[in-house]
Amino acid sequence: MSRPLATVRGLTTAGITHVVGIPDNTSGPLFDELSRHPTIRLVTVTREGEAIALASGLWLGGASPLVVIQNTGLLEAGDGLRGTATRMGAPIPMLITGRGYAKMERANVGPDTPRTIELLTRADVDSTALMTEPTLDAWGIPFRVCAGDEDPVAAISATVSEASASGRPTAVVMTRALT
Amino acid sequence: MLTVAQVLEPLARHRSHEVIVTTMSVTRPWGLLSDSDLDFASADSAMGHAADLALGIALARPERKVVSLNGDGSMLMCLGTLVTAVACGASNYILIVSDNGQYEITGHQPVAGAGRVDYAGLAEAAGFRQAYHFDDARTWAEQLPEILSSLGPTFVHLAVAPGTQGPIGRSESEPARYLQHSLSEWSRIMREALTGSTL
Repeated sequence: MSRPLATVRGLTTAGITHVVGIPDNTSGPLFDELSRHPTIRLVTVTREGEAIALASGLWLGGASPLVVIQNTGLLEAGDGLRGTATRMGAPIPMLITGRGYAKMERANVGPDTPRTIELLTRADVDSTALMTEPTLDAWGIPFRVCAGDEDPVAAISATVSEASASGRPTAVVMTRALT
Repeated sequence: MLTVAQVLEPLARHRSHEVIVTTMSVTRPWGLLSDSDLDFASADSAMGHAADLALGIALARPERKVVSLNGDGSMLMCLGTLVTAVACGASNYILIVSDNGQYEITGHQPVAGAGRVDYAGLAEAAGFRQAYHFDDARTWAEQLPEILSSLGPTFVHLAVAPGTQGPIGRSESEPARYLQHSLSEWSRIMREALTGSTL
């Protein structure tokens, strides 16, 4: 079974009814698989804040959505997340694909490295990855990172369960491929 | 040009089982006309996300019409939702833009392009099944029953005179019931109403 198909089966088992988001290189195969799925509805949106607000509305209506966005778009979506899902106490799980993590590793820096202007302007560092985890922390979003050999299906399922149990938006930052 | 009362009173008269999502300057006035668990005030800022939140409700509850009472400033912050609503075929979605040309509740600052934007034209170009423009109260009130009953997605642009609404809070002193609860509390009230009842 392909990894995207296994991921979709995991979403079905977790009770996900809708996937809302914008595809990138990492999540593209998952979106392709979902576009053929008979029960999980795929809603492709135009901005990441829109994804979170729309998912919050889906939850209000009784659905169980998953948001899938890239970390760059997460940074754009701050007030949408704060003013809808977080203020509503909506248990929205988010799969955040992690652009820039490989570059960060090659440059031997990490989310805990002081974010000086020298670091943020370095050509060999993608500042998106540097800012993703501190931003989630600042916004009060519990998260896990799925990297290396970790099983993405298990990580997504755990994130869905944690969102439901805690009654708040919860994230998994996916720094490995889904294929 | 309509007043806010001329926008809302016909809607309150003709509303039956529809979900109504309000934001910004219509939030308090609607809460004084309606006391339904199916009303939702998207009033905790969130930078223009009332229309997309309402679209999510519409997708979750296809058996029920969902009306988003949006403002022009809020609409400009989520223009992409015009495309999303059409792309996902939300036939139960009615998006109303109450256009007063200003950010009324933050102090009457002008909205970009005020008076020059063809909002109904934008919706039509995005592929909305119906796109209306009204600048007089009588025609709006006459057309409203048809708007509420037609297959959507439906877009309505209303030219509205600025009012005197100030910043919106949530507290027991607010006269509108849906503003007397925290957003989290009201979300659970509404979710229970939506999932615990049938049409």
